Amino acid sequence: MLVDNLELILFSILASFMLGGTTTMLLAKQTLYSAFGFLVAMLALAGLFGLLDNRFLGVAQVMVSVGAIVVLSMLSILTINAKADALPKEPFKYLWVFLSMIIVSPFTFLLYKMLITLPHHFAKGENVSAKVMGSVLFKEWVLPFELISILLLTAMLGAILIAKKKTKGEHS
Amino acid sequence: MSPDLFFLLASILFSMGLVGIISRKNLFVIYMSIELMLSSINLILATLSRVLGDGGPSVIALLLVGVIAAEAALFLAIIVHLYRESKTLDADRYNDLSEVS
Repeated sequence: MLVDNLELILFSILASFMLGGTTTMLLAKQTLYSAFGFLVAMLALAGLFGLLDNRFLGVAQVMVSVGAIVVLSMLSILTINAKADALPKEPFKYLWVFLSMIIVSPFTFLLYKMLITLPHHFAKGENVSAKVMGSVLFKEWVLPFELISILLLTAMLGAILIAKKKTKGEHS
Repeated sequence: MSPDLFFLLASILFSMGLVGIISRKNLFVIYMSIELMLSSINLILATLSRVLGDGGPSVIALLLVGVIAAEAALFLAIIVHLYRESKTLDADRYNDLSEVS
């Protein structure tokens, strides 16, 4: 009973951090503040993975999403250093966000109704540890794993090629 | 503690990402909204893994983390390139393909 309540309290804290970070991301005027909101949301998501007893995924989330992706996007935002006239003019931002929330809300309800057709309780037994995940990954999911590695290599090459500055005498 | 709460949170997060894509014009906010939608799918998969007591969905979530990283690298490179070309972060200004000539 106590453990259940504790889990619920932790979930509420993490969910409020997540929703607060997401709202900041959506509504902030400065791009860097949006990135900070995104950072909070990703950290809370790692906490939720921990709450689901999936520690390996939580650690991977902290390392990849927070450590690489958010830091990389913050670095890009600071490198670009866009002034006020480079940012888009959005005089009716709140109205647009409100209207699109109304448009999207039936879809949210549909998604939720679809997801709760799954069982209403967690399975008993051992949690999904790194050992179990490793054995599943290298027994049943080897081909997707290799494909992901090729995808990452291609994305790296593509990113270098796209972001490269054109040197003199080179025509695209 | 029931999985329904996690599913509710994941649906709300997915929809907030969709709202960001629809309503904002800043390229960085659009990028972060796409990331948020992918991450909410990750949350659904992790919950599913706990519900089924099976490692499969967790492995898919782990592979999805790799896809998210690849998407981030490409998207940020494209944003840097676009900004260098036309000095704006307004998504509505990149409408070259919509003009009929």
